[in-house]
Amino acid sequence: MRRALALSLSAGLVAVMPAGAQQTHVLVISGLGGTPQYRKAFIETAALLADSARARWHVADSSLIVLAEDPALDPSRITGRSTREEVASAFLRLSRRVKPGDVLLVFLNGHGGGEGAASRVNLPGPDPTAADYASWLSGFSRQTVVFVNAASGSGDFVPVLRGPGRVIVTATKTAIERNEVMFAAPFVRGLTTGAADADKDGRLSVMEAFEYATREVANAYEAAHTLQTEHAVLSDSALARTVAFGGARPSDDPRVVALVGDRQRLETDVAMLRARKSGMDSVTYARELERLLLLIAERSRAIRAISGTP
Amino acid sequence: MRRMILMCMLATTPGAWRQPPDVRIQIRALVDAGQLGEAERMARGGGVVLASLLGDILVERGKLAEADSAYQVALNADATARRSAEAALAELALERGNRNDALRRAETLASEYERTSSQFSADDHVAAGRAFVILGSRTPDAARSALRAFDDAVAHDARNVDARLRIGSLFLDRYNSPDAKAAFNEVLKQQPRNARALLGLSRVADFEGKDDAMGLVRASLAENPSLVGAHVLLARFHLEAEHYDSSSAEARAALGINASSMAAWSLLGATALLAGDSAQYAAALAAARRLNPRPAAFFAEIADAVVKQRRYGDAVRFAREALALDSTSVRALGVLGTTELRSGNLDAGRATLEKAFALDPFNLWHKNTLDLLDEMRGFRTVDRGRFRFVAPPKEAEALLPSLAPLLEAAFDTLARLYQYVPPVPVRLEIYSRHADFSVRTVGLAGLGALGVSFGPVLAMDAPSARDRGDFNWGSTAWHELTHTFTLGSSGNRAPRWLSEGLSVLEERRARSEWGAGVTVEFLAAYLGGRIRPVSRLNDGFVRPRYEGETIFSYYDASLVCEMIEQQNGMSAIVAMLQAYRDGLETSVVFARVLRSTPEQMDVRFDAWLRAKFSVAMKSIAASDEKGSTGGAFVSAVRAGADMLARQQPDSARETLLRAQAMFPEYASSGAPALLLAAIARDKGDLRGALEQIVRVTQHDETSLEANLLEADLREKLGDVAGAMIPLQRTTWIWPYDVGVHARLAELAARIGDHAVAVSERRTVLALNPTDALEARYQLARALAEAGDTAGARTEVLRVLEAAPSFERAQSLLLDLRTAPTPDHQEDSA
Repeated sequence: MRRALALSLSAGLVAVMPAGAQQTHVLVISGLGGTPQYRKAFIETAALLADSARARWHVADSSLIVLAEDPALDPSRITGRSTREEVASAFLRLSRRVKPGDVLLVFLNGHGGGEGAASRVNLPGPDPTAADYASWLSGFSRQTVVFVNAASGSGDFVPVLRGPGRVIVTATKTAIERNEVMFAAPFVRGLTTGAADADKDGRLSVMEAFEYATREVANAYEAAHTLQTEHAVLSDSALARTVAFGGARPSDDPRVVALVGDRQRLETDVAMLRARKSGMDSVTYARELERLLLLIAERSRAIRAISGTP
Repeated sequence: MRRMILMCMLATTPGAWRQPPDVRIQIRALVDAGQLGEAERMARGGGVVLASLLGDILVERGKLAEADSAYQVALNADATARRSAEAALAELALERGNRNDALRRAETLASEYERTSSQFSADDHVAAGRAFVILGSRTPDAARSALRAFDDAVAHDARNVDARLRIGSLFLDRYNSPDAKAAFNEVLKQQPRNARALLGLSRVADFEGKDDAMGLVRASLAENPSLVGAHVLLARFHLEAEHYDSSSAEARAALGINASSMAAWSLLGATALLAGDSAQYAAALAAARRLNPRPAAFFAEIADAVVKQRRYGDAVRFAREALALDSTSVRALGVLGTTELRSGNLDAGRATLEKAFALDPFNLWHKNTLDLLDEMRGFRTVDRGRFRFVAPPKEAEALLPSLAPLLEAAFDTLARLYQYVPPVPVRLEIYSRHADFSVRTVGLAGLGALGVSFGPVLAMDAPSARDRGDFNWGSTAWHELTHTFTLGSSGNRAPRWLSEGLSVLEERRARSEWGAGVTVEFLAAYLGGRIRPVSRLNDGFVRPRYEGETIFSYYDASLVCEMIEQQNGMSAIVAMLQAYRDGLETSVVFARVLRSTPEQMDVRFDAWLRAKFSVAMKSIAASDEKGSTGGAFVSAVRAGADMLARQQPDSARETLLRAQAMFPEYASSGAPALLLAAIARDKGDLRGALEQIVRVTQHDETSLEANLLEADLREKLGDVAGAMIPLQRTTWIWPYDVGVHARLAELAARIGDHAVAVSERRTVLALNPTDALEARYQLARALAEAGDTAGARTEVLRVLEAAPSFERAQSLLLDLRTAPTPDHQEDSA
């Protein structure tokens, strides 16, 4: 138990570390819809992700590439057609922009097919396979890569793409789960709104978005009284807790820096207090908890006062 | 976990068969045609060779002593039918209560079969099968041997219909209706008019709840008017429909053919008891005792009959009486155990059903119920006021905050109306899987109902057991609780139509939008003569003739009750229930309380209903057997919808308004008001849209989307308090929508109704929302706004304990810091 606790604490600490100069780059690839209903859903999901990348994550336009089957459907957001050549070109362009330590988010959505390394998502023209994506990602070995394949039958992307510094998320457990999936929308919603922010720190980790989406998917199937035919997979979970999007930009004001540091220490104290909870009497625990939380709250209020935020 | 022992057809091998003598064929043909006298005459002339067959005929005619002698002749002469005679004597011994003799004879025959079956004829195999059936009452596995023996008989003689009929009966007695049906159909392939096969199919249909059971048994009697089993089954059908005269007539018809039929005397006794004819009951019981000094089957039949009339106390008494005479009566154990469960005595019920299951491990009802009882160990029991709720923990959390106060209010209302107070606590079981509710109610999955009342014990589907919007769980609970009052005040003797009719009427009385409303289909069926008159209304529940008749009967019965209340007052309803409690029959109740004969009530109600719906009836065509609907109203609605689809809203509006004038009460699916509301909304006429949509929401209890639209419209029109009402209605349709409860909380906070805001925030939290911390934070805010600083502080600390970085919660904590220290709770968020 003690060992597990130490791991959990360390993961928590990494998660709250500021991103610093780290930059985020986003590549959104929407496949062929096949029907107006899917085409619309894919475009809406891509748009939500693109808007959040710009507005909430402060991703530079040059680091945001949105590819879809028909750019005319949303010309203000879609930067190119999602053909194999365009996808390859996008990876190449981004590989030239990234710096070590940056984060690359690739979000692939559509109808999946194939198996193993030949798994693919239907795009206009020839479909790139999981092996192709693996090859394109090889240019990002010094970055943290978050690759999300939200398509049906996407499960086999995980063994093909996983590796150090990579978080791979698929909507299904295997390539066999080929029924229509609903994972994409709640995952993107989780990543781009506060709904998935489990620790309420204002930043959305990939793990938080994943857990939120899997819960939402399970609830939807339960409410519809249907057998769940999609089971999302994430690898690896430790890294997924540390990769987060959004949150306030770090301040350069030394007073704020000091207060933030102070607050982080207090939050660590809370985590340690919680770890000791079972061995403490409840009144002492509650009193100490409230004392620490008030101190944290005061730091936050002071930071806001200095920053001029409400 | 109990595992069912599955019956499986054993492999059969074709074997030699021999042609029976012509005279046997002739005699059997006479028996099959019901000409028992002629059959007996011929058999008597056949000497020793036909002695066993003569015995069979004498049994059919109830001449048991003579049958004994005939069988004895067959045995002594070592005739070819010796084994059949032995089997028949064993069955007679069992019927007379001489169980040891029956088992001894059966064992002898079974043992001989096991040793020398290769020398057995087809009839001998059948005889062995009959012996194994008897042994099955002691050793359940003997049923397999019985099946093997009957199969061997068929293998020896493919034309042996007796063996196939017994295979069918064996399967059905072991709750396997598909194989039973196949066996009976196989007989009909050979003999399309075989009365016993038709009777078997009638039993199958009854078992499967199909509506052709009555037709099949009548067909059986048409082929063989002397078939006692068919008369008995028909009597049972009449009894279940509460047609006591017809039931009695059929039982007497059976006894006219066979005065020694225990089944017929039992049915006659059950009918007499339910009809309140104590002299006839005593006579039937005496006759049963003459046949068998320990007539457990008689009392088991009575117990089964009274439980179907919801007289649970009597059922327990008679089942116990049966068990005192024969502790191995599975039927009596089943009735007793099930009734104990229905009375809320779960431990006793479980113990009784365990005994029944040990004796008959094929019984699906008992197995399913015992499995459910195992599952219910994980349910939560919550006592609130005059109710005891039993539900899965998640449902208890989500439903009880609104259900408990609703039922308390219902209890007070109903107690005042019916001048009766049932014993408390009333137990309500809630099931999140419909199959579980169904098993709790009838022992099998597949029941169509939403709820059931056993008097002081109610059971119902949780909303989650059905698709979103399928039903209104508030009105369902109110409906079932009404039964507690109507059954209780009538000593469980109110006929089904009256009890159901009052329950639906009380739904409508509770909330204008609750309860069944008039539909096109109902009026079309009424105009088509497909709704039964008041005097036969019970048949609409018990023996529906077509799909949908039961639903129509619910609504129709509620209208009958509405008319009675309107014309005779609520006191008449109360008086009717009391009259039924006193054991009076419907015709007497009508005469005494309503001063009418049943036929006069038919006329009265017809006139009342035609007046009530006089406008709508002009525009609705009578439906035929297929239930198709038509008429000017339907045409106008269709035309309006088409115009709307063709983007012609002005024409559509005009047509739909015309339709609405034709049937102003109509508020169900496809109502003109729904389309008119959409047209008005799209034109920006919010008030016009609201005016239309309320026509639906105030009369349709499951109009989820319409209520949401009403809430939107009212909010846009600035009626915040008004917007809450349709949202609250939706929670009785689908209570699990976190968004609706959060919206209710926001609206309540806006109008300063902090108590409702807090309650709704608590409900959101109970629904285990995806963002539980946000939900708890919102609860803390609501508590703070309601002035409950201590409660707010407790909740916000729980939030921050889990998420110390949550800045909005931090701010709230700072705002609350001057408040007194709350009592901290142990568990974390």
